[in-house]
Amino acid sequence: MHSIFAIIRKDVLLRFASPSEWLFFLFLPVLFTFVLGMGNYGSDGKVTLLVVDEASNEISARVIKALERTPGLRPEVVSRAETEARFGTRKVDFWLYLPADLSEKHLRRGEQIQLLLYQQPNNLRAVAVQRAIQAAIGGESLPFEAAHQAVTLAEQYSVLRTEEERQQYFNEAFQSAHVLWTQAPQRLEVIRPSRAPVYDPRAHASAGQLITWVFIPLFGISALLAYERNTGTLARIMTTPTSQAIFLAGTIGGQVLIALVQMGLLVGFGVFALRLPWMRDPWTLAVLLFTSALAAGAIGVFMGTLVKNEAQANNLSILMGMVMALLGGCWYPLEFFPDAVKMIVHVLPTTWALEGMVNYLMRGKSLEDLFPQLAALTGFAVLFFVLGLWRLWREQSV
Amino acid sequence: MIRVHNLTKRFGHLTAVDNLTFEVKEGEIFSLLGPNGAGKTTTISILATLLLPTSGEAWIDGYSILQRPLEVRRLIGVVPQEIALYQDLSGYENLWFWGQMYGLRGAELRQRIRMTLEQVGLDEKAHHKVRTYSGGMKRRLNLAAGLLHHPRVLFLDEPTVGIDPQSRRAILDFVKSLNREGMTILYTTHYMEEAQELSHRVGIMDHGRLIALGTQSALLQQAGEHDTLVLSFENDLKPQPPLEVLRHLSEVINVSREGDRIKVLTTAPEEVLPHLVTVCLEHGVRIRSVEVIEPNLETVFLKLTGRALRD
Amino acid sequence: MRRILLIALKDLLLILRDRSMVLMILIGPFLLTFGMGLISGRMGGGVSQSSGPRDIPVAIVNQDGQMLGNALVNVLSSPELAVLLEPVLVPDVETAKQQVEADQVAAAIIVPTGFTQSLIPLAKEWQAWSPSSSSNLAIQIYANPGRPNSVAIIESIVREFLFRVEKGRVLGLTAITPLVTAGAIQSTQAEEIGRALGESLARANDAKDLMQVAITEGGLTPSHEVDVMSSLAPGMALLFLMFTATYGARSLLVERRQQTLQRLMMTPTSPIQILLGKGFGVYLSGVLQQLVLIGTSTWLFSLNWGDALGVIALILCAALAAVGWGLLVAAWARTPAQVASAGSALMLLFGLLGGSFVDLSSMPSPVYVLSRVTPNAWGLDGYAILAGGGSLSQIGQPLLALILMGVSLIVFAGVILMHSRHFTQA
Repeated sequence: MHSIFAIIRKDVLLRFASPSEWLFFLFLPVLFTFVLGMGNYGSDGKVTLLVVDEASNEISARVIKALERTPGLRPEVVSRAETEARFGTRKVDFWLYLPADLSEKHLRRGEQIQLLLYQQPNNLRAVAVQRAIQAAIGGESLPFEAAHQAVTLAEQYSVLRTEEERQQYFNEAFQSAHVLWTQAPQRLEVIRPSRAPVYDPRAHASAGQLITWVFIPLFGISALLAYERNTGTLARIMTTPTSQAIFLAGTIGGQVLIALVQMGLLVGFGVFALRLPWMRDPWTLAVLLFTSALAAGAIGVFMGTLVKNEAQANNLSILMGMVMALLGGCWYPLEFFPDAVKMIVHVLPTTWALEGMVNYLMRGKSLEDLFPQLAALTGFAVLFFVLGLWRLWREQSV
Repeated sequence: MIRVHNLTKRFGHLTAVDNLTFEVKEGEIFSLLGPNGAGKTTTISILATLLLPTSGEAWIDGYSILQRPLEVRRLIGVVPQEIALYQDLSGYENLWFWGQMYGLRGAELRQRIRMTLEQVGLDEKAHHKVRTYSGGMKRRLNLAAGLLHHPRVLFLDEPTVGIDPQSRRAILDFVKSLNREGMTILYTTHYMEEAQELSHRVGIMDHGRLIALGTQSALLQQAGEHDTLVLSFENDLKPQPPLEVLRHLSEVINVSREGDRIKVLTTAPEEVLPHLVTVCLEHGVRIRSVEVIEPNLETVFLKLTGRALRD
Repeated sequence: MRRILLIALKDLLLILRDRSMVLMILIGPFLLTFGMGLISGRMGGGVSQSSGPRDIPVAIVNQDGQMLGNALVNVLSSPELAVLLEPVLVPDVETAKQQVEADQVAAAIIVPTGFTQSLIPLAKEWQAWSPSSSSNLAIQIYANPGRPNSVAIIESIVREFLFRVEKGRVLGLTAITPLVTAGAIQSTQAEEIGRALGESLARANDAKDLMQVAITEGGLTPSHEVDVMSSLAPGMALLFLMFTATYGARSLLVERRQQTLQRLMMTPTSPIQILLGKGFGVYLSGVLQQLVLIGTSTWLFSLNWGDALGVIALILCAALAAVGWGLLVAAWARTPAQVASAGSALMLLFGLLGGSFVDLSSMPSPVYVLSRVTPNAWGLDGYAILAGGGSLSQIGQPLLALILMGVSLIVFAGVILMHSRHFTQA
C-alpha cells in the first residue's frame, strides 16, 4: 500500500511539473463546455433563422414576433448583406425573406404574398422548418383569409347587395376570425418524462466535454509509461520489490485521483455556472464518474504498453480521445447518428459514459437504472487492466 | 592563422572567458587544455562566430570574426562537443545536408561524402539512421560533418568525450592525418594525454584564463624538474592530517587528493618518500602502492592551479 | 535561396520520418473526418447527402380514430416526410411511453379520443356557437429528453398540422355561422360545407395561403450537389493544420537543444536564411498535409470541394497564416515541451473558436469577432463559398485576411526571434 501511495505521489508531482498542465486540466474544458453549451450546439433543438425584413411595417413586426414565439426556431433579424455573407459561408442553414409587399394593403386585397425561405441544399430539416414558419405566421394572415372566404361564401348565397354591405361583412368576419384565432385553446401539449429533471441544451455539452477532457489525460497515462520506460525509471521500479500489478494500480490510481478532482471541478462549473442538477444524487454521480475514470485509465495503461515513446503516446492519446469522444456522442448528440452506427459505437467506453451521464442528468435515472452503463465501464476497466498487466509481464519475460 | 586578442565573454556576473590572447600558426595543432568549465567551449563558440565576445577581437586568416563572420565561416569547420546531427536522417543524408550548407554540390559532394565516410569507417552504415548508431559512430560522423568541406581551420571541441578506446584512437589518428595534409587545428580537451599526443603547442586554461602557453617542452620546463608521487592506501583516507603534514615537508611543492589517492608534486622524490611513509604510519594510514610519475602537462596544471585536471 | 530551400526540405523530410507526427497530421484529421462521416450517416447510408437527424422513429397512438386523427397519421406518413420520419402506430399509451423511456423512439404522439369531435362541431352545435364553446382536448407529444432535435422536428410538424386544423375551424366558423344566423343556410348543410372546407385546408402547403413560405435553395445552381461532409472535412483539415504549424515551429527549439541550430549558425548561412528556411519547411508540410487530406477525402468520400484554383489558393494562404501562429508560439516559448503543449492548446482553441467543431454563428458577436483571429474561421468561410459553387474571385476576402494574418505574424515573430538571444546566440 505504501508503494502505491509513493507511486501516486510521484505521478501527481510529475504531471503538474509544468504549469501548462492547468491549460488542459481546467481552462480548456471549462471554455469548451461554456462555448459549446452556449453555441448552436444543436442540443436545444432550435434552428437559427435569419430574417431579412424589407417590409418593416406592423405586419412584418407581428410576423417576427410570431416567429419568436415558435418553439424550435431562433429568429434573428439582420441586414440583407450580413445575411447573405453568413449564408454564403454556410454559417446558417436558413434565412427568411420578408418582401416589401408584405403589407396590410396587399392582404386586404387578398393578394398572395410569398415569403422566401432560403435553405442550404439537402437539408432534410427544411420541411420541418418551413412548416414551423408557416404555422407561426399563418395566424397573421388568417383573419384576412377568413374574411375573404366569408365574403365569397356570402356572395354565393347572395346575402350581400351593396359594396358597403360587403365591406361591413368583411370587417365583421375579420373581427370574429381574429377573436376565434386568439382565443383558440392550446391543442398541443409537449410532455417530458416526469423524472427528467432538466431539459437544458447545456447539459449535453457539460457531460460530453467532461468526458472528452478527462479521457484525454487518462489516455495520457500511456505517455507517463513511455516516459518511465525511456528514462529507465520503469526498469528501476521493476527491480524494487514492487509487483507489476502494484505498479499499474499505483499509476492508474494517481491519474484517476487527479481525474476525479478534475471532474469535480468541471461538475462544479456545471452546477454553479450552468445551473445543471449534477448534484441531484451525489452517490450515483460519484460511482458513475469513478467507473468512467477507471475505464479510461486502464485503457491509458494498455496504450502505454504499446507505444514506443512519449511523443507518440501524447499524440495518440489526444487523437484517440478526440475520436472516441466524437464517436461516443460527446460532441454531437447521439440522436444524430444513424441507427447502425449508434449500435456500433457501444464498443467505446465514451459511449457508455455519456449514456450514463445523459441518463443521470437529463432522464433522472437512479443508480439501479444505470447498472448497464456502470457494468460496461467496469468491464472496460478490468479488461484493459488485465491486458496491460499481461503486456507488461510479457515484456519482462521476453 | 588564428589571432585572438584580449577576448572576454561575460554571462551576467560570470566571466567565462577572461582576456584571452593567443595565436595559432598555419598548419599547427593547438590544444586548449583545461578542466570542465574552464571556458574552452565558449572560446571556440566565439571564434566560430556563434557567440559575440563582450570585448576583444579575433581574426581567422585575417578576417575579423566581428566584421566578416560569413568569410570566417567559409574558412572554418567546427566539430561541436554535442552530437549535433539529425537523428532521423541517415549518415549519408546528414553529410549531404551539411555539405550543401557549406556550398558543396553535385558529383564533388558525393565523392567527398564517400571519401569521408570511408575515412571515419562508416561507409557500411551510411544509409542507416543516425539514431541507430553507437556512441562512437555518432562521434565519428559528428567529426565527418565538420570537415567534409575541407576547411582550412578546424575547431574540435572535446571530440572524444564518452567513447570507447577504439573510436578514440581512430579519431586521434584521423586528426593527425588531417594536420599532415595542412589543416590548422584548434583542439580542446580535458584529457592531458590527447593534448600531449597531438599538439605542437598547448594553452592551459582555467577559470576563463590562459594560465600557460607554449610548446610541450617549454611548458614542462616551466613546471620545473618536478616529479609526481602517487600514493594509494589500503584503508580509508579519513584522517586529514597527513595531507596537511605532507604539505609542510621540504622539497614538496604541492599535495592534492584525487579520489582515494594522493598526488605529491616534488623536486626530490627519493628524499620525500621516506618522510611520506613515516607520516602515514604515524597517522595509522597503510600505504598500498607508490608510483613515481615523470613531469607531464598534468603536473604543469597541478603546479599552476593546485588542482588536478579532473577535479 | 538555395540554403533556405535546403533547410525547408530537410525539415519536411524529418517531419515525414517522425511517426508520431504523421499519426497526428495525416491520420488524425482523416480519422476524425471519417468518424464525422460515420455519424452523419455518410458512410452507412451511402448515397444520403443530408445533414441533421433522419429516419426519426416516432410512435403514434391514434385514440381518436376519426377524421383528424387519421389525417395526422397520413401527414406523418406522407412521402414528403418519408426520409425524415419513421412513424409506427402503437395501440396504447403505455407502450408508447415505454418506448420513449427506452430510447426506442424520439417521441410518442397521442391523439386523444374525441379529438375530431372537439374541433368540428356537429350539426346541432352550429346554432349554439360561441368562441368559447370549443373544447380544449389536446394532442400530446411525449418527448424523449435525449433527442431534443428530433422532438423539435416532430413538434414543428404536428404544430403545423394543428394550425391547418385550427385554420379550417376558424375559416369555417367565420364563413358559415353568420349565414346560419341569417338563415341563409340550414344547419344540416352547414356541417357538410364545414367538413369540405376543413378537409381542403388540412392539407399541407395549401396554395390558398395568403402568406406562403416558399423554399428555395439559395445561391446555388440546382445541379451543384452539396455534401454535408464538405463542411466537416475542411474543418478537420484546418484544425490539424494548426497542429502541424505549431509542431513544425517546435523544431526550431528542438534544433537548438540538439545543437544543430548552433552548427547551422556556424556554416556560411545567415540567421534570416535559417529562419526563412525553417518557416518554409513548416509551410511546405502544412501545404502537403492539406493536399493529402483534400486528395484522399475527394477520392474516398467523392467530395466536391469546388473550384480547384480556389482550393489551391486557400491551401496556400491558410498554411501561411498557420505558419505565422506557429512561429509566434516558437518565438514565445523556451522549451520544445512548451511549444508542444501550447501548440495543442492553440490548435484546440482555434478549432473551437474558428468553427472546426461546431458552428458558432449564433454566438454573441464578441465571439464572432474573436473567431476572426483564427485561420480556421477564414479558411472555413473560403471552403464553404467554394463548396457552394463559388469561384476564386469570390473568396478574395478570406484569402486576403489569411495572407495579411500570415505575413504580419511571420514578420512579428521573426523580429522577436532575431532579437532573441535564445535564437541568435547559442
